[in-house]
Amino acid sequence: MSLKLLTDLSTPIMMGILLGGLYALIALGLSLVFGVMKLINVAHGDLVLFSSYLAYAAMTMLGIDPIISLVIAIPLLFVMGFAIQKYLLGRAFAISMEAPLIIAFGISLILQNFQQIVWSPMSRGLTTSYTLASFGVGSIRVPLAYLLDFVAALVVMLLLREFLSRTYLGKAIHAASQDRRAAQLMGINTDRMYAFAFAISMATAALAGVFLGLTFPFTPQSGVSFLIIAFGVVIIGGLGSMLGTFIGGMVLGLAQTLGGYFLGAAAQMLFAYSIVLIVLAVRPQGIFGR
Amino acid sequence: MAVMVILAVLPAVGMPRSWSLYLFLFFIYLAMANMWNLIAGYSGLISLCQPAFIGLAGYTLVICTWIGLPLYLGIIAGAMVATAFALLISIPVFRLSGIYFSIGTLVIPEALRIAFFLWRPIGGEMHGGGAGYMVKGIAGVSMVEFYWLALVIGIASIVLMRLVLRSTLGLGLASIRDNDRAAASCGIDVFKLKLYSFVISAFVTGIAGAIFYIYQGYIEPASAFNIRWTMIVMLATVIGGMGTEEGPIIGTAIVVFLHFLLARYAGISLLIQGIILVGIMLLAPQGIIGVLRKNQFYRSLAQSISMG
Repeated sequence: MSLKLLTDLSTPIMMGILLGGLYALIALGLSLVFGVMKLINVAHGDLVLFSSYLAYAAMTMLGIDPIISLVIAIPLLFVMGFAIQKYLLGRAFAISMEAPLIIAFGISLILQNFQQIVWSPMSRGLTTSYTLASFGVGSIRVPLAYLLDFVAALVVMLLLREFLSRTYLGKAIHAASQDRRAAQLMGINTDRMYAFAFAISMATAALAGVFLGLTFPFTPQSGVSFLIIAFGVVIIGGLGSMLGTFIGGMVLGLAQTLGGYFLGAAAQMLFAYSIVLIVLAVRPQGIFGR
Repeated sequence: MAVMVILAVLPAVGMPRSWSLYLFLFFIYLAMANMWNLIAGYSGLISLCQPAFIGLAGYTLVICTWIGLPLYLGIIAGAMVATAFALLISIPVFRLSGIYFSIGTLVIPEALRIAFFLWRPIGGEMHGGGAGYMVKGIAGVSMVEFYWLALVIGIASIVLMRLVLRSTLGLGLASIRDNDRAAASCGIDVFKLKLYSFVISAFVTGIAGAIFYIYQGYIEPASAFNIRWTMIVMLATVIGGMGTEEGPIIGTAIVVFLHFLLARYAGISLLIQGIILVGIMLLAPQGIIGVLRKNQFYRSLAQSISMG
């Protein structure tokens, strides 16, 4: 009996872990901005979707494979992120604590409606020859897209970790996040570091958007749900910790697939949201946070 | 006073239908914006869960009409449910502060939206996505009645703001907003005052939401728990001036006027509103009232109004 349950559960567990990779990938950028600037970028979900739509446009109009289109999308979103931080959010930080939040909210609405106007409210997806492919592990069939998500998340997480701890720029961003005044005294241009952090966050959003599109269909309205998922991942994983975010993704992915297994597919997101609220209420600093 | 009387008799002397519609929206949004201003502007809680109160009150109203209760009872019941819900969620979200509070409250309408997609409280006619319902028994209610209902709640919200801000609650809130540690050390129960303002805001927002759904005639989860509501109250308050009494009144007037201007371009309406929100926040973070207050003429005018 228990063996049967175990074999039954092996599919949702496997899917949950791989799906967690996608969630972690979406959340990494949010976590970075959160950790460095103490800003919850409520536009993150819509910026991720913007990249999904860019890849969709490149695929349908120019016939470029979504993953190859990243060669253009990553630098584009990097520059966009730098500009958003420098000209919009950076100024808002000087006004008040709430101003950046409200501005991010405004950016989110602008993007959402822009996407709705340009690409219509219809559900879209990045369908390529390999998105529908799947492979078997023992008795479990796993879609290839899920595995790609997981690998991409792992690579981005490790790269970000190494970047933040080894390079000069990474260390400077870290310093600016720990103590802004002290970093400035050490000759670090903190505003510039914030802009770089936001730009890097946007570059990961570009990646996340493409893998999101390969895995799920999306509409202009999906941004909020992915924002909440990403926020849940960050909250579970603890602030600004890249490894924590990665593990948080797994936890939320598992919560969703196991919730779907026990409570039915319709209730799986409700279950995941409830986990986010419970973690927020019990440990606002995150399960792995200090 | 004179303005109120004029607004009250307007439908009796016969005003164009489209006018009363925009004025109706003005009062509903005004009540919601005032209540958001109370918690965001005066208590420093950037709440993103106002759609939850609006949606819950709307659904309660609809369910009440389906089981045969009168409309007015439905409105009160809706506000009660919204208030009870505010008390319930205050347990987890009041442990959070600042941006954590905002995100905690952002999750709530989304979770409710999914819950209401799954839940089928009443059988019968469905609308929009299979989870929507008609409001029963509103065939006999005229536009004038909607209008007066909205007028009452709009004016009531202004009076309530006055009363709250002149009371010890308002003074306490102001001190919390300026410095919550100093307020706490002066013997102010920060948690309790924030909770009071949150609950008051839920109650009035609930009434306004229920009245809106009487007018709309049907409800469905995607629009009831939509982030668009947050956008409207935020825009109205920020344009007018957050943390000022007159702010939401002027801001709401501008938002409703924008709706009127952009009615033909429904697609880009929210896009333009988003751009205005970002622009105002960057250029005039204190809103129109903030700019006006620096003006000598406005100050003397405001003084003479409050004196007379």
